Amino acid sequence: MSRKHNSIEASAVQSPTSFNRRHFLRGLGACVALPAFASLLPTRLMASSSAGKLALTSTGAPLRAAFLYFPNGAIPDAWWPKEQGADFELSKTLQPLAECRKNLQIFGGLDDRSAQPDEDGAGDHARANGTFLTGVRLKKSATDLHAGISIDQVLAREIGSVTRFPSLELTCETERPSGICDSGYSCAYQYNLSWSSPTTPMTAESNPRLVFERLFGAGPPGQRVENLRRRRQEQRSILDFVMQDARSFERRLNAGDQAKLDQYLTGVRELEVRIHAAEKLGDPKDPMAPTPAGVPATYGEHMDLMFDILTLAFQTDSTRVASLLLAHDGSNRSFSDIGVSEGHHDLSHHFNNEEKMRKVAEIDQWYVKQLASFLRKLDQVKDTDGHSLLHNSMIVYGSGNADGNRHTHVNLPIILAGAGGGTLTPGRHITQPSVPASNLFLSMADRMGVRNLPRFGESTGRLSDV
Amino acid sequence: MSSSVKPQAVASLLAATIQPAWGAWSRARNLLVGLALLALLPSPRCSAADSAPDAALFHDEIRPILQTYCFDCHGDGAHKGNVAFDEFKSDQSVLTNRDLWFKALKNLRAGMMPPVKKPQPSPEQRQEIAQWIKSAVFCIDPANPDPGRVTVRRLNRVEYRNTIRDLMGVKYDTQSEFPPDDTGYGFDTIGDVLTISPMLLEKYLIAAQKIVDEAVPEKKEGAKPKVYGRFFPKDPPAKSKERRAYAREVLADFARKAFRRPVDEKTVNRLAALAEETYSRSGKTFESGIGEAMVAVLASPRFIFREEGTGAPSGPGGDPLVDEYALASRLSYFLWSSMPDEELMRLAAEGHLRQDLPAQMERMLKDKRSEDFVRNFTGQWLRARDIDNVQIEERDVLAREHGTNREMDKTRKRFHELERKPEDLLTKEEKQEKDDLRSSFFKRFGAPLDPGLNSELRRAMREETEDVFGYVVHEDRSLLELIDSDYTFLNERLAHQYGITNVTGKEMRRVTLPPDSQRGGVLTEGTVLAVTSNPTRTSPVKRGLFILDSILGTPPPPPPANIPPLEDAAKGLTNDAPSLRAILAAHRANALCASCHNRMDPLGLAMENFNALGLWRTNEFNQPIDGSGTLLTGESFSSVQQLKRILVEKHAKDFYRTLTEKMLTYAVGRGLDYSDVETVDQIVSRIEKANGRASALLDGIVDSAPFQKCRPAPSARPAKLPSLSFNKS
Repeated sequence: MSRKHNSIEASAVQSPTSFNRRHFLRGLGACVALPAFASLLPTRLMASSSAGKLALTSTGAPLRAAFLYFPNGAIPDAWWPKEQGADFELSKTLQPLAECRKNLQIFGGLDDRSAQPDEDGAGDHARANGTFLTGVRLKKSATDLHAGISIDQVLAREIGSVTRFPSLELTCETERPSGICDSGYSCAYQYNLSWSSPTTPMTAESNPRLVFERLFGAGPPGQRVENLRRRRQEQRSILDFVMQDARSFERRLNAGDQAKLDQYLTGVRELEVRIHAAEKLGDPKDPMAPTPAGVPATYGEHMDLMFDILTLAFQTDSTRVASLLLAHDGSNRSFSDIGVSEGHHDLSHHFNNEEKMRKVAEIDQWYVKQLASFLRKLDQVKDTDGHSLLHNSMIVYGSGNADGNRHTHVNLPIILAGAGGGTLTPGRHITQPSVPASNLFLSMADRMGVRNLPRFGESTGRLSDV
Repeated sequence: MSSSVKPQAVASLLAATIQPAWGAWSRARNLLVGLALLALLPSPRCSAADSAPDAALFHDEIRPILQTYCFDCHGDGAHKGNVAFDEFKSDQSVLTNRDLWFKALKNLRAGMMPPVKKPQPSPEQRQEIAQWIKSAVFCIDPANPDPGRVTVRRLNRVEYRNTIRDLMGVKYDTQSEFPPDDTGYGFDTIGDVLTISPMLLEKYLIAAQKIVDEAVPEKKEGAKPKVYGRFFPKDPPAKSKERRAYAREVLADFARKAFRRPVDEKTVNRLAALAEETYSRSGKTFESGIGEAMVAVLASPRFIFREEGTGAPSGPGGDPLVDEYALASRLSYFLWSSMPDEELMRLAAEGHLRQDLPAQMERMLKDKRSEDFVRNFTGQWLRARDIDNVQIEERDVLAREHGTNREMDKTRKRFHELERKPEDLLTKEEKQEKDDLRSSFFKRFGAPLDPGLNSELRRAMREETEDVFGYVVHEDRSLLELIDSDYTFLNERLAHQYGITNVTGKEMRRVTLPPDSQRGGVLTEGTVLAVTSNPTRTSPVKRGLFILDSILGTPPPPPPANIPPLEDAAKGLTNDAPSLRAILAAHRANALCASCHNRMDPLGLAMENFNALGLWRTNEFNQPIDGSGTLLTGESFSSVQQLKRILVEKHAKDFYRTLTEKMLTYAVGRGLDYSDVETVDQIVSRIEKANGRASALLDGIVDSAPFQKCRPAPSARPAKLPSLSFNKS
C-alpha cells in the first residue's frame, strides 16, 4: 500500500495575522484589565424603547447571563460550606474564590431529577450533561435526539435581538471520542449544553481564534470591521439564492428529511437576522488585540483564553447570553499539572478511598480556581454604568452530577456569581429545601426580562431567595 | 398505528389548540415531525391476515424446542433477565414482540444462550428457530430484503474537506474550522445525527467564501494563473450575450459536479444572473462574478446534503433502486469519503454504472482516495482516531510495573516540580537536571528511551492500524488476519515499543513477526491497547468491552445505574496493592455484576501483558501477570495468542457478522435493526464462501439492498412546517 499522501490535518491554515497566545493575552489582558478602556464599550446602549426592558439593569447597563458546566460533580464534604447565610466560611474546594466571595451565592438543595435513572437505567453522565440546562428527560437513543430547549436559548430567543449575537455557545472540548458514548445515549447529549429545539443541539465552538473572528472579524487589528462588512455584503445575495434553492430542494424530500432541511433553513434565517442586526446595531469595536492563534497547548490556557474572549464579548455587548462547557460529564482528563495523573472520571468512582477522594477534591478545586480567574476578569472591567461587568452579570457555575461516585443528581454543586445588576443578594450560602435547579433558571429569566414564561424544565416555581 | 388517522389533520388540530406562547411553534413542529415520521414506519411485509400459519408454526415446531432448552430459566414461571417465552398474551403478541426475538436471535447465534453448561439444541434446531424468527416475526423476504430508510445526509467534516479538495483543488482545514460531527452507532456518517446548527450554517457560508477566494483565480494582465483552466476552459467573450452564454456553460458544469447530479435549467439561470449582477458592476471581473455564483453553489443545501433520486423498480414487488447518480455518490463517499469523479459521473449519466460495478470497485480501491476509507473506517471501528488525543501518563503506568520506593518517589516529585515550571523560566542547571532525571527514570525501568506517546509514536500506531486493514483490503487477504496474523506494519519507533529489532527508519513497512511474537492482529496493536486504557493503568473491563462490541458483536448491556460499592468486596483482599485480576474477581463475586463481567473480564485480562502504552510486561506490583482465562462460550486459553486462535477458529462467523454490521452502518449511514438481519446474513455467507476474503465483504455491501435501493417515499406529503424563526419582522 502506498504511503500517506494526505497531511491536510497537519497543515492547519494559520491566519498570517495570528500570534501566539502569550502575545494575544498580553494584548487582550490589557483590554480586560483596564477599566478605562472605554473604546470597547458599545457605541450606544440598547435601552431604546423598542427593546423594552430586555436584559437591562435598573441603571440601563446590559445584564448578562452565562452558564458554565464542570464535569463529574464535586466531593460533597469538600464543597459545601458549613454555615448558612452571609456569615459562612469558604469550604476547601471553594477557597480560590476568597477574593470574590462577596459576589457569590452558593446554592444548596438544587436538584436535577430529570437526570435520574428511573426507567432509563445507565447513562448518568449523558443525562447530567444533557439535562443541566434543559431540565427535561432525554430520549435514550443513539440517533433519535430528543431533549428540550435549554434556558440559555430561551433567553436568546427573547432578548437576542438587542445584541449582534443572540447567544454564544462555547466549549473547551476540542474532540469527540469515536465509538459509542454513554450507555446508549447519543454523544450529542454528552457534549452539548445548549439546545435551540428538542432536536437541534447548538454545537459549541472550541477554537478561540474562530470565536474571536466570529465576534470581531478576521484579519489584523484595524481591518476586521472592514472584513466583516465585506463578508456581510456578499452573504446577502448568497442567502437569497440558497433560500430559493432550499425551497426547490425541499419539494423533493420526504418527511424525515424535511426536518434536516428545516435546520438548514433556520440557520439561514438566523443569519439573515444577524446581518440585519449588525447593520442596525453598528459594527463591533475592534479590540485591536492580535487574533488568538488557535487552541492553546494546555487545557488551563485554553480555558483561560475562552474566559478572556467571553469577557470581551460581554464587554463589547456583542451578546448577553452564553454557555460554556468546561468539559463533558464523564470526562476522564488527567491533571498531571497538579500531580493528579489518574483520569478524572476513573477517580470520581473513588469508593470512599481517602486518597482518591483527596485527588478528586483537588481537581474540583482546580476548576474552581479557573472560575475565580474568570470572575476576577469580569470584576476588573467597568461597565457603562460604572459598576463592574461582574456586578451586571449572572454567572452560573455548576454540574449535573452531585456526587460523582454515586451518580446522584440532587443537591447539585451550583454557584451563582454576580449581582444581576443589583437584583441579587450575593455573598451568601443558602440551602433550598430541595427544589429543581430549573427554579433558579426561571428566576434568572425574570431578571433578564423574559415575559410569559410560567414554567421551565421541571420547575415548580421561582427561587424565592436569590 | 391506525391508518385511518391522517397525521396532517391531527397535527394541525393540535397546532391550533396550542397557545401561541413562547415555544409553541417548536412544540408544534415536533409534533408534526413526529407524526410525519410515524407515517414512515416500515410497513410489515407480512400482514396480520396471514399470521395464523406463522403462529401455528410457533406452537408446533418452535415452542417445543424452547420448552426443552430455554424454559428452565425463561418459562414455566421463570423469567430470568425479564425474558419468558410462554407468557405471551396472544398468538399475535408472539409475532409482534420483535425486540425480544431480536435479542433471542443474537444470543442464540453468538452461543451465549443456552449457557454453555446447559443442554444445547442441535445446529438444525438453532437454524430452525433463526429461520422462523426471520420469516415469521421479522417478515423478511430473503429475495427482497428491506433496504431501510436513511435520512438525507449532510457531508461530515472529512467528506466536506475531501469534496472541496477534489472539486476546488483547495485544502480547507475542516478539522479546525468546523465543530466535530456528532456520531451515532459509533460512526460520523449517520444521517440522523448530522445536524446543522445556526453556527454550522454560518461556517458553511464563510467556508464557501474563503474557498472560492482561494480557488478561483482572478485573471491578471497578460499571465493566466495555472489553475485558470480548471474553472474556465477559455477566455470570457467580450460581447455581453456571449458572455452570458459562457457563464451559463461554466456554472452548469460546476453545479453538476458540486451537486453530484445534473442541474435544472432554472438553477443555472439563477446562478448566471447572480454572476452577471456581480461582473457587470464596475471594477468587477467576469471571474469574480462566476466566483460569487460558486459561493452560492457551495452554500446550497444541494452541496451540503447528498440528494438522492429514485430509479427503476428492482423487479416485481421489489423496492426501487436509487438512481445511478445516487449510486455514484454512495460509492464514492463509501470508498473515498469524497465526491464521485468524472468517470463515475459519466457512467451514471449513461446509465451504465450498475453494470460496471465490479470494475469500478476495483478502480476505486486502487485509487489513493481509498486511503480515506481505510482511515475513517478503522479510525472509528477500532477507535484508531482516538490515539491522537488519548492521555496516558507514562510515569504512572511504568511505576505500576516496577514498584515504588522512596528514592524513586523523590525523583518523581522533583521531576514533576521542574515540569510544572514554564520552560522559559527554567535555569540552565534546572534544564539539565530535568533531562537527567528523565533519562535516569526510564533507564531504571528498562523501557525504551521516552516510551511516552509523543506525536511520532501516536502517528506510527495509528498508521499500523490503518496499514494492516488497508493491506487486507487492497491485497484481498482473509479478514481473519485482522485478528491473528504473523505480520504487522511498523517503523523503527513502533518496533522499538514492541521490542522488535532490525526495523530502521521512519517509514512504515510490512514486517514479518518472529514466531514467538505476541503481536499481529488488532487486539495487540498500540492503538487499541492505549485507547482502551485509563490515563494511569490498563482497563481490562474497557478492553473486554471493546472485543465484545467491535470484534464479537455481543456487547453486554450497560451497567446498572447504581453500581454497588466495590470496597465491600475488596475488603476481603489482604494485599495492599491487589492486582486488577484480584479486584475484578471480587467484583464478580456479586451476582449482579457477574453476569456481564464474566463476559468482559476474561477477554480484557488476556491483554494484561500489555500496559497502557502498548509495552509488553510480565508483572505488575511485583506480581506475575496471568493472561489465562475462559470465555463464556466455554473455550479456555492461557495467553492472548491462544485467545486470538480461538477467535479465529471458533468465532470467525461472529467476527464476520460484526465487521459486516459495522461496515454496513458506516456505508449506508444509519443504524441497523431487525429488518437488516437477512442482508447481513447474506453478506456473511458470501464472506464464508470466499474463505474470508475482504472483497466478499466490500462487494457484499455494495450489492446489498440497503446500498442499492431505497424504501419508496410515502405518497402522503406532510403539512408545511411552521417557521422556527423567533424574530419575524
